[in-house]
Amino acid sequence: MFERFTKEARAVVVRAQEEARRLRAPFIDTEHLLLGMLEAGGGPGAQALRDREADPAELRRRIAGVVGGDDLDPDALATLGIDLDEVRRATEAAFGPGALDVRSHKPPRQGHIPFGRRAKKVLELSLRESLRLGHNHIGTGHLLLGLIREGEGLAARVLVDSGVELAALRDDVIRLISSEAA
Amino acid sequence: MSDGVQLAQEASSRDPAVGLRAVRALRELAERLEALQVGNARDQGWSWQEIAVCLGVSRQAVHKKHGGGRRILGKER
Repeated sequence: MFERFTKEARAVVVRAQEEARRLRAPFIDTEHLLLGMLEAGGGPGAQALRDREADPAELRRRIAGVVGGDDLDPDALATLGIDLDEVRRATEAAFGPGALDVRSHKPPRQGHIPFGRRAKKVLELSLRESLRLGHNHIGTGHLLLGLIREGEGLAARVLVDSGVELAALRDDVIRLISSEAA
Repeated sequence: MSDGVQLAQEASSRDPAVGLRAVRALRELAERLEALQVGNARDQGWSWQEIAVCLGVSRQAVHKKHGGGRRILGKER
């Protein structure tokens, strides 16, 4: 299947693996694909997410809130006069995006991180979306359609929670990749 | 954080629920910052002993908490 992937879609997968590793995940899940898409930044998938104002920093916070155990509690910190957003800005300026969301900095696992069940499903669905649209490649737009269609993973959930309308996002992506193919 | 101001005023309240929640939040923040800084120090080649001195804990404690058996930078010190 990967031989059908565009350069941008390959970059998403590579980046998703890095995200999974950085977040100490045992396998690649839908949220890593979503973050990978936003961070790699190329192709219609990332374009559609940007158009809907999906903010990587906010999505990271939401993902960390679900995956992490004890969440950082901005309101409680505010009672002490600590502005968590300010702390976050400072640490990310020095250590990169999501630096504060990693709960342990023990060395990450080396080597290959496998795709989880849901992420595999997303890849299958993106192939199906590509075929359905009569395309012979899988681009980031098809990957995003796969993420939307899978619908049950953390990626879809954090998108919805941050106010992105999945049906509208889907329409956007299809419009983008159709005009690209034309 | 629009309700931050109101919450900040609550800091002066003597409600244990507010105060204890703040302590817990602060501890979690400190844990994350510690993990981040220790990781960075190790990446820069600091020994566990040097990190322990800065944190005011024993070398064993810091290694147990943050060590993970990585040997990219040579032997564990």
